[in-house]
Amino acid sequence: MTELARLIATKAVSPVEVVRVHLDRIAAHDKDLRSYITICADGALAAARQAEAALMAGRPLGPLHGVPYGLKDLYDTAGIATTGGSKILADRVPSTDATVTRRLAEAGAILLGKLNMVEFAYGPEGLNPHYGHARNPWDGATHRLTGGSSSGSGAAVAAGLAPGALGSDTGGSIRIPASLCGITGLKPTYGRVSRAGVLPLAWSMDHVGPMTRTAADAALMLTAMAGYDAADASSSVLPVPDYRVALTGDVKGLRVGLLRGFFLDAATPEVRSGVEAAARALAAAGAVVDEVSLAQITNAAPAVLAIIGSEALAYHADTLRARAADYDPEVARRLKVAAFITGRHYVHAQQVRGLIRADVDAALARRDVLLAPTTPMPAPALDERQVTLGDGPSPVRPALIRFTQPFNLSGHPVCSLPCGFTAGGLPVGMQIVGRPFDEATVLRAADAFQRLTHFHARRPVLG
Amino acid sequence: MLPAMTSHPIDLDTLRHGARLAGFAWSDAELEEIRPQVEIALRLLRALEAIPVGDTGPTTHYRTV
Repeated sequence: MTELARLIATKAVSPVEVVRVHLDRIAAHDKDLRSYITICADGALAAARQAEAALMAGRPLGPLHGVPYGLKDLYDTAGIATTGGSKILADRVPSTDATVTRRLAEAGAILLGKLNMVEFAYGPEGLNPHYGHARNPWDGATHRLTGGSSSGSGAAVAAGLAPGALGSDTGGSIRIPASLCGITGLKPTYGRVSRAGVLPLAWSMDHVGPMTRTAADAALMLTAMAGYDAADASSSVLPVPDYRVALTGDVKGLRVGLLRGFFLDAATPEVRSGVEAAARALAAAGAVVDEVSLAQITNAAPAVLAIIGSEALAYHADTLRARAADYDPEVARRLKVAAFITGRHYVHAQQVRGLIRADVDAALARRDVLLAPTTPMPAPALDERQVTLGDGPSPVRPALIRFTQPFNLSGHPVCSLPCGFTAGGLPVGMQIVGRPFDEATVLRAADAFQRLTHFHARRPVLG
Repeated sequence: MLPAMTSHPIDLDTLRHGARLAGFAWSDAELEEIRPQVEIALRLLRALEAIPVGDTGPTTHYRTV
């Protein structure tokens, strides 16, 4: 996106040409990938023509002027269906934009379409029985999971059907597809980016953020999106820096804690060696790397179950009573199970959240960032039910969210980015965790790593 | 918490009672369908209750000044 914005601003390429190329790629490949639910071809071309006219007239340009992007289909878009990946909301057409949709439009970005997702964002595999399962573009022979819930965002950005996208992350839903699809995904600090006009899964765990090819692109989008919004009660009034300025490429003296134990020990050998090699690359560039463990981290899973289950059921209870048969059966089952979570469980889980947050804060007291795998394994096949991890067998679903969900509890900013490939050619992702509201350092570390390596530049070969 | 929900496996009466308390009138067949997942969830929730939290206050957000 950074490069496209520069090329457009210097009139080296036309926004109309850029939008057309992406629409052509969508037409050629999305029948297989199923990354889009709604394609806004006419609207995107009209916006591109306006962008071109503004450019030729010499009018002031926003930082994303003429650059196309996709939106996970839970961001409200005025006049365009916003389904939440559901049959229940298939005909819902909002009359206003979500705050971040509006902010990206003000920055000049052009909406290509609404992206596939797990129904109501409740699941990490990336499956959707209503709109088809999005397909991981890295394996044309085997249908592999994209990860979710931002499945379409992951597939579209990886396959070049959008230069960037927005996802949402309640237990890992930006970072898991970023990891499995080999792209960059940023979950900002809780409160950094407004969620007004975004369908909720669990209010105290939901984060929204960019999914892009590079950390520089994520910085560009975050700078345009972040900032206080009176329409979101959790929104922070802390000032928003220009995150692009932080991208110096310099990690000399950066204190990096490599998360062992719960994280590296449970990863498959290829994932573990990818993250360890990344730590060595950062150390060779001048970072000061040590190892650290988080004592409370094993308590995350039960707390996440109690909090997401309770909050999701609170949002869906009336609809579940009225239209249970219209839900994805898997999502309906998760919501029904949540009926057995009590208020006492919920409060206890919020206390555990405090312990986990304190644990992460303590690890960051003497370090600038923490480094860990994003997912313990690369993308499983669609029909795989069980995976073998570094510490034994695990069902796929809990394995996918195991390393990401603790940071939804804690609220810290986290960027997932590719750090290698398996022998079979599947991407391996790592996550960089930072201090609250210090996305600048997280993005600086991610960008510096991408200047040292080329994993983020590798592209899948599409059929 | 429902006393019977601490036991494993969970019986249908307890499932009916729990669903009713939560405001759902699910059939026995619907309850049977979710029984295995409810048992897994209850195991995790028992593990949650066993985590010592001391006097840690329940919080959700960073203080957003």
